[in-house]
Amino acid sequence: MIFNTPLFFWFFCIFVLFYGFVFLKQTPRVYLIVVGSFIFYGAWNYSFIPLLVASGLADYFIAQAIYKAKTKQTKKRWVTLSIVFNLGLLGMFKYADFVLLSVADLLSTLGYQANISTLSWVLPVGISFYTFQSLSYTIDVYRGDMKPRKGLVELIAALSFFPQLVAGPILRAKHILPQMHAIALPTFSAVKHGFLLITVGLIKKTGADLLAIPAQAAFEAQGSVSTLELWTGVLAFAGQIYGDFSGYTDMAIGIALILGFKIPLNFRVPYFAVSPVDFWRRWHISLSTWLRDYLYISLGGNRNNNRTRNVMITMLLGGLWHGAAWTFVVWGAFHGIIITATHYFAKLPLFAGFANNKNKWVLIFKWALTFYLILIGWVFFRATDLASAIDIIIGLHTVNADAVQGAQALTIFVITVVWIFLTHVMDYGVIKGADKLENKPWLFWTLMIIGQALCLFIGAPSSEFIYFQF
Amino acid sequence: MNLSTSNSEYALEKLSPSGSCRLYGQVVLKLGLSMLTALLIIFGYLTSIGATGQGILERVTEARQALPQIIADPNDVMMFYGSSMTRAGFSPRQFEAQLGKKGINISAFNYGFGGLNPFFQDLLSRRIVEEFKASDRQLKLVVIEFNPFQATQARWNGALPSVDSYLTLLANNAEMHEFAEGDIERLARLYTIKYLRAGVSAEMITSYFAYEMFPPARPQGFADSEESIAEQRRLGQLLNQKFEEEYPNYVDAAWSYEWKGGGTIPSERTPETLALFEEYYDASFTDARMKNDRLGRINSADIEELRFEPLMLEHFINIVNNFKAVSEHVKVVMLPKNSKWIKTTPEAEKRLAQAVSLIQSKTGINIDDHQDLQIITPEMFRDTTHLARYRGDVPYTHYLVEQYTNYLRK
Repeated sequence: MIFNTPLFFWFFCIFVLFYGFVFLKQTPRVYLIVVGSFIFYGAWNYSFIPLLVASGLADYFIAQAIYKAKTKQTKKRWVTLSIVFNLGLLGMFKYADFVLLSVADLLSTLGYQANISTLSWVLPVGISFYTFQSLSYTIDVYRGDMKPRKGLVELIAALSFFPQLVAGPILRAKHILPQMHAIALPTFSAVKHGFLLITVGLIKKTGADLLAIPAQAAFEAQGSVSTLELWTGVLAFAGQIYGDFSGYTDMAIGIALILGFKIPLNFRVPYFAVSPVDFWRRWHISLSTWLRDYLYISLGGNRNNNRTRNVMITMLLGGLWHGAAWTFVVWGAFHGIIITATHYFAKLPLFAGFANNKNKWVLIFKWALTFYLILIGWVFFRATDLASAIDIIIGLHTVNADAVQGAQALTIFVITVVWIFLTHVMDYGVIKGADKLENKPWLFWTLMIIGQALCLFIGAPSSEFIYFQF
Repeated sequence: MNLSTSNSEYALEKLSPSGSCRLYGQVVLKLGLSMLTALLIIFGYLTSIGATGQGILERVTEARQALPQIIADPNDVMMFYGSSMTRAGFSPRQFEAQLGKKGINISAFNYGFGGLNPFFQDLLSRRIVEEFKASDRQLKLVVIEFNPFQATQARWNGALPSVDSYLTLLANNAEMHEFAEGDIERLARLYTIKYLRAGVSAEMITSYFAYEMFPPARPQGFADSEESIAEQRRLGQLLNQKFEEEYPNYVDAAWSYEWKGGGTIPSERTPETLALFEEYYDASFTDARMKNDRLGRINSADIEELRFEPLMLEHFINIVNNFKAVSEHVKVVMLPKNSKWIKTTPEAEKRLAQAVSLIQSKTGINIDDHQDLQIITPEMFRDTTHLARYRGDVPYTHYLVEQYTNYLRK
């Protein structure tokens, strides 16, 4: 079930009727959330609900065991079991075929004929999100950051909470479990803010679906494509993935807010970043902070002169988290390299002043350089394979004026750039001044109606969310 | 970590049953009203520009509305069912007039529809058949056009943004369930388009406006001279004037397109008008126009390679089998082809032969191949696929009369 579909609309209407008017107390509401979430997830594939439940059950009991364990060694064994179990699930469903095929390729390169058969299992939607979420629970209990919860159903409800189940944001147990334990009632101001986020998310998703067309034209072109069209395609993909993913999480946050739950911000105008490090503070914040807190810091973080190694491992695994393909690994490695390079240059006396310089023109230069590097990174992310990624990057830097789309190419380029800018301005406005807008009822409701009408008016055939596949 | 969803903190309150009912009552009322207003704005705008389901399928709507009148016709009824090539290539009144001379009273109807591929034609044929069955009426003869250009993958891909809209406009609810194939998400979408959006999906609107803003890149490398264009325009305006002079009361005329799906016939026009038609055709059917049209159709319909979409063939077979239930005689034809401009490759010929063979085996009816009729010459086409009025539709209709008279005798 996808947020921007009529099915979800009807599902949510019915859910709100039960939630708001029938199930009026804490415990029934938790059960309703579980049932609603299973229906939501089951609309995609019911057979994977047991997997989700198994993940929650295992971590529920492991967390109890960690808490009761007398020695640090025993606690460590239990948390290791949780890590192995969750990452094992993820590995089996998501990475097994990738590993098997990579081994076969390697053996073939070495001259051995390997007859390896793949598993070809269907990837359960959202598995990368809920396994990380579940893991955060046992790790937090292990670290003593929280106590294990008594309510099993509350844990399952938090894990399967439908607004964020299939594409995040990745919620930390210590944030969502207390909210699930004492479900609150939102004020109407909070509901209005939720509605604003849903509308903004819908607008961004609608734009993203349209940007998919020039992106596909550039990345899957059969023949020669002009330099301008390639840049348009890469920019369009940058706009598409931002609109698609941040649009989804905006809707998730908005829906949760209407139900009385606060979910943290997942994007903070990422293409306004002025360095690669800054970009990762703004992009998919729930993943980058998860990786920072549970992987990077566990590896030692900035200590012991191993910063470069730790950054590279974190970014490589972050890349791999997005998908079982070498293009994602290279994308992660690329970001690891540019983050490391940023750290390196910042330490050089020649660049030390530059790194902290707040001069307008210096900031514009840093922004342009960062945005260029992010775009190059997206080429690896979107390309069908590494060879075509390299071809596209070469094409981006080689002059070819022979545009397939003729005079329209420039118009599409301009529209793409303007749209990316507008979505960021819109997001900046929501982050900085939503309350001012919400305090002007006529303006607020007029804008909401226009926004909803736009989304009802515009539609593109491709409406799947990109991050569902992760 | 900042828990807020923006820089503002939104307060939450303690859960209470009365508070919940009050709050969610407000949610349902205010959010529901705003969404309803948005829907009404869209609906109003689409109605104002004529982009409603009825408007989009204008000819289909007319044709469906004409069915009760056709069913009540005292004469035997003949229907030619097909694409825009049928619409351009068959003159029902010419057909009736020529048969009348043979002493056969028949009412003929042109049910050719531009833009309807076999998938949509299949659905429409079901509605037509339902009406005939409900009235216990039989067609004397139905001639069904198999148009290879409409059954290609390219054609089907081009129609994808319209599929759900057309489905809701042409299919009944049981068929919508059938086409959703258990996909509850698609079914919800279809019902929403049908009952809340009057048959017009967002994809269809976007596709329409995108086409206007960014016409598909077609290699239009050929152009008429400005003098030639001006002459075509002058002659076209003259023909319009003649039409208004000769048919001052043509609105709702018994022969009109709304009713019969066909228009005027040469015997009603003055010699001067017919000469003007010839002059217009000579000025308009230029090589530049034909070359551009050919390239456009290669892009949009793969007319020279004919890579068929199996789904289209399956639905075409359905059309033939649907009509068998309400027609005394069913004939399947391939209309004349403009061989001067369409050069199908040997592979395309093989694919066409396989498609024809499949249709024949699944329907039990042989396809009459009229693609290369001697009596039809390239000058009789107004573009690379459609026959021209009078110059092309009359000789072809005459040919059909000769071929099918025997089926129409009592």
